[in-house]
Amino acid sequence: MNAVGLVGAFATLFAAGYGLLGLLIRNSIRLNPAEQIGFSWLFGTGTISLLLWIFGFVAHGALLQGLVSVVCLLFGIVGWRLKIPWQSRGRLRAIDGFLVAIIALEVAIIFCLSFVHTLGWDGLLNWEIKARYAFANGGVLPASYFSDAGRAFSHPEYPLAIPFNELWLYLWVGESNQFYAKTIFPMFYLVTTFLLAGFAARLSRKTWVGLLVAALLFFVPQLTVEVGCASGGYADFPLSVFYLAAVGCLFCAAERGNSGFFRLYAACLALLPWVKRDGLILWAVAAACGVLVILRTKKSAASFLIFIPGLLIICAWRFYLNAMHALQAADFLPFNLETVRTHLDRAQPLFSALLAEFGDLSTWSFFWFIVAVAILYCLPRMRSAGVLALLVALVAPIILYLSLYLFSSWQNYLEHVGLSISRLLMQVAPVGFLLIVLAISGRSQKRPSALRMEDDATCVIARSERTAVVELA
Amino acid sequence: MTFRWSYGRIAHVLLWCSLAIALLTVSIRRIYSGATEYPLRPGGALHTTDSYLKFATGAEGASKNVIAIFDAMPASKPVVIFMRKGDSYSSGLGMTAAYLASPHAVRLCEIDGATPDKQLSLIDPARIAGVVLCRVSRPASFPAGKKFGAGFEIISMPKNG
Repeated sequence: MNAVGLVGAFATLFAAGYGLLGLLIRNSIRLNPAEQIGFSWLFGTGTISLLLWIFGFVAHGALLQGLVSVVCLLFGIVGWRLKIPWQSRGRLRAIDGFLVAIIALEVAIIFCLSFVHTLGWDGLLNWEIKARYAFANGGVLPASYFSDAGRAFSHPEYPLAIPFNELWLYLWVGESNQFYAKTIFPMFYLVTTFLLAGFAARLSRKTWVGLLVAALLFFVPQLTVEVGCASGGYADFPLSVFYLAAVGCLFCAAERGNSGFFRLYAACLALLPWVKRDGLILWAVAAACGVLVILRTKKSAASFLIFIPGLLIICAWRFYLNAMHALQAADFLPFNLETVRTHLDRAQPLFSALLAEFGDLSTWSFFWFIVAVAILYCLPRMRSAGVLALLVALVAPIILYLSLYLFSSWQNYLEHVGLSISRLLMQVAPVGFLLIVLAISGRSQKRPSALRMEDDATCVIARSERTAVVELA
Repeated sequence: MTFRWSYGRIAHVLLWCSLAIALLTVSIRRIYSGATEYPLRPGGALHTTDSYLKFATGAEGASKNVIAIFDAMPASKPVVIFMRKGDSYSSGLGMTAAYLASPHAVRLCEIDGATPDKQLSLIDPARIAGVVLCRVSRPASFPAGKKFGAGFEIISMPKNG
């Protein structure tokens, strides 16, 4: 019965995501099956959690579950009718098959690890607690939870994407179950490999490069086995997937006329602040990159409308928290110039802590060193809107996160850094892989070749250096 | 057939292959040890809280019994949870107790001493549902509660008191 419930939960989730995907791209681009699954998962998790929250104002219990299920099925029917164009890659070569087998093994290991590991501290007390309490209250978080001083440690002000997806599973299996809640997180790892392989293949024009990068993702210890990793119950890795999707789509949308990827970027962007509070910073950076691309590629002024959904979510959530009299976390001092002035002496120790984190081989291996090499490779190509956006998308959040610790209210702010900086860097780590792919593939593009548009699914790497259009067949 | 790769391209390929090999060499051992650190164990609805309570107190499968005790308490009254200041295990137990105590309101109190004598003397027992002691000792004057392993005790207040 529980297995049937889980299948129902996942099926409705994918149906919702697939329908939204179909509506967004409207046959303007071709996506391979893995990319379709990846985007369907992301949009499905966003849709389900938003629907549960919104419909929770007017319904609860079986009616709430029924309403959300009906909407998901309607989305699914829309997606089925729209028939998202299928991008075929032809026959898989031996190297591709080998890499696919490696990735499959890695994903299986992540699934196993997720069942071995617990949800983790934050996974239980910040995220799953909301799902549990909402389930006990008919699918709606009790108003008293937000102003309950005794449970202020659980950050009631955190957004609900992850908890309400766990809630969706609970509604379908009929009980709050910490074990089943964990099934969500390895799915995000699977989706990361799909999207990373897809973007990397588009950037490099080589399927094996995409698959190789997706396989190498597993070998960053922070993503695989450290606290807050993909197999735990933290929101940082899911946030990193949404950010990867947003930035990757933006990069592809930098090609003039590629409106399909631009709409995908808009949808992923809107969901960033809904996944975690840190998503607000990533939203701001990704939005700034979006403005950059719009201006550099001379898109129409209507393109700025894409920022409205994210702004709506941010404002609506803030309004909701005020209405619920939600307690705010006391981790940070007031954000003003006075605080900056009095804590500027923290800058040098914070920078040292960041360098120490980059050099922590047990957590990151040589990943950040490789990213640094990739950045050096990409610096001469900064005239390209896409490359510049990618560089900003990677570097800006790191600088902003580090700056946040200037405002830390912890007695020992370096302890605050130590407990959280790995997870913050993890949020941008997948984007680092895109930069690595750019660096790997850029050197091989010695001679520019003519633009070739075989189908609508193309992604120009860097117009300024006249690299060839990516072939997707 | 002539070899058409330039020296630059060879250097490029060698660089990235070396970096990839370096990444794998360092990370494989760490990932292997991280992946094999814990054995596969059976799941359950309270998988995470059971794991933590076993780690902190030694008690097996305690979550269900903890919830049962809280369920027997009057829902309209709060539960007071005492934790030792500066003791992370105590804080963890306190927050876990708060998690399991829903829908009861909870009050978390950090104390400096070993026992909450002073704090308990200020509380009217009739106004609370129960007391949880997380690595703090129960005052001698206080009735005994249900102990879970070492350092975790839940005391239900009499319903009429």
